Amino acid sequence: MTQHSDRTRPTAETAHLTALMERIAGRGDRDAFRALFAHFAPRVRAFLIKRNVPPAQADDLTQDVMMAVWRRASGFDAAKASATTWIYTIARNLHIDQYRKAVRASRLDGRDPVFQPPEQPLADELCERSESVTTVGAALGDLPDDQQQVLGLAFNEGLSHREIATVLKLPLGTVKSRIRLAMDKLRQKLGDMS
Amino acid sequence: MNQRGHLVDDAWYLDYAAGALDSEAHGVLMASHVELSDAARERVAMLDRIGGAVLDTRESAGDSTGLPFDADDILARIDAGEDGTLSRNAGPDPSGREDEDIVLPPALQAYLARTGTPVRWSFLGPGLRKAILWRGEAGETLWLLRARPGVSIPQHGHRGSELTLVLKGSFWDGDQQYRCGDLEEADPGVEHDIRIDEAGECVCLALTEGKLRFDSPLLRAFQVFTGL
Repeated sequence: MTQHSDRTRPTAETAHLTALMERIAGRGDRDAFRALFAHFAPRVRAFLIKRNVPPAQADDLTQDVMMAVWRRASGFDAAKASATTWIYTIARNLHIDQYRKAVRASRLDGRDPVFQPPEQPLADELCERSESVTTVGAALGDLPDDQQQVLGLAFNEGLSHREIATVLKLPLGTVKSRIRLAMDKLRQKLGDMS
Repeated sequence: MNQRGHLVDDAWYLDYAAGALDSEAHGVLMASHVELSDAARERVAMLDRIGGAVLDTRESAGDSTGLPFDADDILARIDAGEDGTLSRNAGPDPSGREDEDIVLPPALQAYLARTGTPVRWSFLGPGLRKAILWRGEAGETLWLLRARPGVSIPQHGHRGSELTLVLKGSFWDGDQQYRCGDLEEADPGVEHDIRIDEAGECVCLALTEGKLRFDSPLLRAFQVFTGL
């Protein structure tokens, strides 16, 4: 498992993104928005593409997300969530509002009948990043692989717990108990820090 | 201490936080629950951090110069008055609302406005009214239940699972009380024996999969007319 050694840069990047958000909220700072856009727009688009949103729609939706970031900036509260988490929730909510039906149908169809779990555990993927994400990555890294796999299928592929049970050919109760165990451990690790 | 009475299984919060719920109706129900319940919001907030971390790893598409639009396109749209705030905040109450005394959670209001779904109450049983909001292809029904204080709902089971969110007042299922913001999950086969609290009217948002299964043959006959 990749361990991240530099713990100072994550904080600096998080602080930088927070400062950008506060400049946008405080005085409608366009340069701050441009910098924030450069960081997040490609990520939001790539996130949507990974969720099987067709490229043209992903472009539209990414623009909607970035517009929402601008107009809801005053609602950003760094004490409650990081800029990354806050923008994730905006992207997720707009995505499910607008494209649920269309994407829904294709999500499980077209999937290889023999489902291959991702080669790389979710935690490794996150630990390679130099974000404050390392805290989350480290907490996930302590979870058994089968629990990480379930969380990975939810966040990476956008599969519901019922769909996860289907693709992994597991009883629903097994998937639910893996999620419950994972959540209990994450609550201990991340508890007061959200 | 089990979770009944306040929260449902963690799997539902994961589905919600990951944007992975099975249907739009599930989304409306869970978003309403999260709006009304501090405990639910706490669970989702923790999971959202994982979502944020995942978003942060999504940079394979390269830098923003690869996008067919840039920050100034967004700013130009905002300058052109395409603000979004007006349509979001000044949205009129969903048409056909005849229940001005019930405050629906914002997520549900937004859904009704977006889909143009009216809330039309109809008779369900003595002291009980229902308003069906949506029916899915797999037999799911998203509906509102409005019940007078002290009313009992006869013992029944489900062919599928049922999620019930309290929007106003409270009800008892056996000796467990459910208050505003609480979400009850009933798996297929679970028998309910529901009594509305004496203290006041109760309004719930429910997502039922498969038809209710009443024990009494008379109610089964009656069910034909209720549409649930």
